[in-house]
Amino acid sequence: MTRAALLCAAGLAAAIVYPLLVPNYLVNIGMLVFFTAFIGQSWNIAGGFAGQTSFGHVVFFGTGAYTSTILQVTYGWNPWLAWPVATAMGGVVGWMIAVLSFRAGLRGSYFALITLAFAEVFRILANSVPFTKGGLGMLIKADQRPINFQFKDPIWIYYLALLLCLVSVAIAWHLTRSRFGARLVAIRENEDAARALGIDVFAEKVKVLPLSGAMCAAGGTFYAQKYLYIDPSIAFGVDKSVEMLLVSMVGGAGTIFGPLIGSFTLMGINEATRWLASVVPALKNVQPLSLIVYGIMLVLIVARLPNGLMGLFRRGPARA
Amino acid sequence: MKKHVSVRISRRGFVAGTAVLATGSLGFPSIGGAQAAPVKVGMIHPVTGFVAYNGQQSRLGGTMAVEDVNKAGGIKSMGGAKLEALLGDSQSKVEVGVSEVEKMNEQGVAAYIGCFQSPVGIAASQAAAKYNTPFLIDVGASDLIVNRGLKNVFRLKPGFGVCVDDGIASLGALNKAANNVAKTAVIVHESGEFGTGTAKLLAGKLPSVGITAKELIAHDNPTRNFDNIALRIRSMAPDIVMMSNYGNEYMLLARTLFQQKVNVAGFYSILGGGFNYKFVKDMPDVSQYMMDVNHWFNPKSAKAQELKKRVEAAGALFTFEVYLTYSNVMLLADALEHAGSADKEKLTAALAGSTYKADLLPYGPTKFVNGQNQGGRPAVMQSLKGDIEVIAPEEFASAKAVFPKPKLG
Repeated sequence: MTRAALLCAAGLAAAIVYPLLVPNYLVNIGMLVFFTAFIGQSWNIAGGFAGQTSFGHVVFFGTGAYTSTILQVTYGWNPWLAWPVATAMGGVVGWMIAVLSFRAGLRGSYFALITLAFAEVFRILANSVPFTKGGLGMLIKADQRPINFQFKDPIWIYYLALLLCLVSVAIAWHLTRSRFGARLVAIRENEDAARALGIDVFAEKVKVLPLSGAMCAAGGTFYAQKYLYIDPSIAFGVDKSVEMLLVSMVGGAGTIFGPLIGSFTLMGINEATRWLASVVPALKNVQPLSLIVYGIMLVLIVARLPNGLMGLFRRGPARA
Repeated sequence: MKKHVSVRISRRGFVAGTAVLATGSLGFPSIGGAQAAPVKVGMIHPVTGFVAYNGQQSRLGGTMAVEDVNKAGGIKSMGGAKLEALLGDSQSKVEVGVSEVEKMNEQGVAAYIGCFQSPVGIAASQAAAKYNTPFLIDVGASDLIVNRGLKNVFRLKPGFGVCVDDGIASLGALNKAANNVAKTAVIVHESGEFGTGTAKLLAGKLPSVGITAKELIAHDNPTRNFDNIALRIRSMAPDIVMMSNYGNEYMLLARTLFQQKVNVAGFYSILGGGFNYKFVKDMPDVSQYMMDVNHWFNPKSAKAQELKKRVEAAGALFTFEVYLTYSNVMLLADALEHAGSADKEKLTAALAGSTYKADLLPYGPTKFVNGQNQGGRPAVMQSLKGDIEVIAPEEFASAKAVFPKPKLG
């Protein structure tokens, strides 16, 4: 067994044992770390591996959240059945955005902006059309039974988030070893050169966005089931897009573990500073302490570690 | 017959139990019996994020109330137990609000108070329901909060349904007294749950007082420029402009309407987030004659006036968040007094049967039905000469309404 595999096994064992030893509050934080890592990984697959930087990934998140919630609340579907449909719908939206954008030749910052525009369009639509109940939002009836994708003990939602995170890491790992992944990296590094090598750039890009969108949509359903309420600002708000992008950038975009490391670090900073502000009398009135430290950390990471925290562990080439 | 008693020990219970045993075996001196254990109250507000000011005001009111309860001898039926405020910041995010609930549950809170924003309140009170912990909604207008059948949720203040009903009735009376000068209205609202819900109800109910809603205009949070909306309103020439939005957008919209010289018979907002002393003092020309249906204190209450002086002496404004959170802490203290215990079931029962007299507020007797206080009602205020006067309900009124307002020059 290699050192890396041993480290992964130890990390996984720690993640499995962790909720058995800590109070519910920390179980909840752990769940948030893995959930954010999961949606971050969905961004990372398109933005990090394929270089298709998106500012509006929340469009997939919201699509997933609304699809499963509408199927459940309006049509009485079981949420477990609605989940794969919502995931597929994220893929369909990803395919649609990919075809429209890449057919028009959008790339780089233009593609980033068009995704932001799509997210805004979806948010406005969710605010306007009757079947989403507009700005009133949608409330999922609380019925805490596993059959309803609701759990009384937070340990189960934690394990579900861990499972999602593992699946996303497995997908990223597979990308680093597959021809498809290699083609994506080639496109990221130099699209024209990739085309010259015979790669069908359009086809590959149209494949990766549905994959990323489907993953992100699965995260949207997970979120809706955890918090049982969504509205257009929550489901399609730009802050979620920023969150996905940040955890990947901080951890290391285009790496297998970047989003997980980023999520762990940013959540850790947030919680540590909030705890400091609650116990250190001098800091009690410094309300946004966590945001200040958060900001400083981001500046330092961007300035000193352009490859993210994963860059600290690498000696060779920067990314996959 | 021998009775078998099965004892289940949870994994955390086991870990906690062994930790307690280990600590106890170290032989710490006992100080038991000296003082009743404090009752922990979790206060979750958005003290950072886009509604940070409102959250900070709520926190101010809550901590002042805790101080007052403790100064008055604590909870007497519990041997003078003091209240201990655990302060949480939701950062204006649902996930963080729920995290705070979990954290405070570990710290042993008896009840929660929060959360200003309805979506955060909905999710946080849902999380508290898992532990059967009472959750008092101090600010949060959505009626979804109390329509879910959760037995742990209580709201002293009225929701937007009641605010709209009372607001429409008062507007109808004002209009009638002014020979039905107003026939049309434009409603401008924030695009979230609170603004949209209020606007929809308004549009449906305005015809009952002979006014038609010409258009509902939604805007985002935050919005930095209202020029286009103001120009659109001016072109439609409604008799009344109705607003339902958060603080900054409310003030910016009001100022833009004034700058664009939008001449109407009246500005009449329902739960206008920015209608407060800061607004009328900083912008007396803009705010003059504007009316708002909102949470307000009873101007005839000596206790409210005294608290207002204390808050202003501390350099803060006496906004609705302050006295609503203050009143919720007092409601909780009253329920603890009646329950004689911080036991969650007893406390929930005491809250459900509470007849607490909300001294600071223009409310009727407290009576909770499905967690909503039936005595909660809004007041109608008008900005007059750089001050805020209550113009309805009549028994609490401090001035007569000016409607229609004089035309702008």
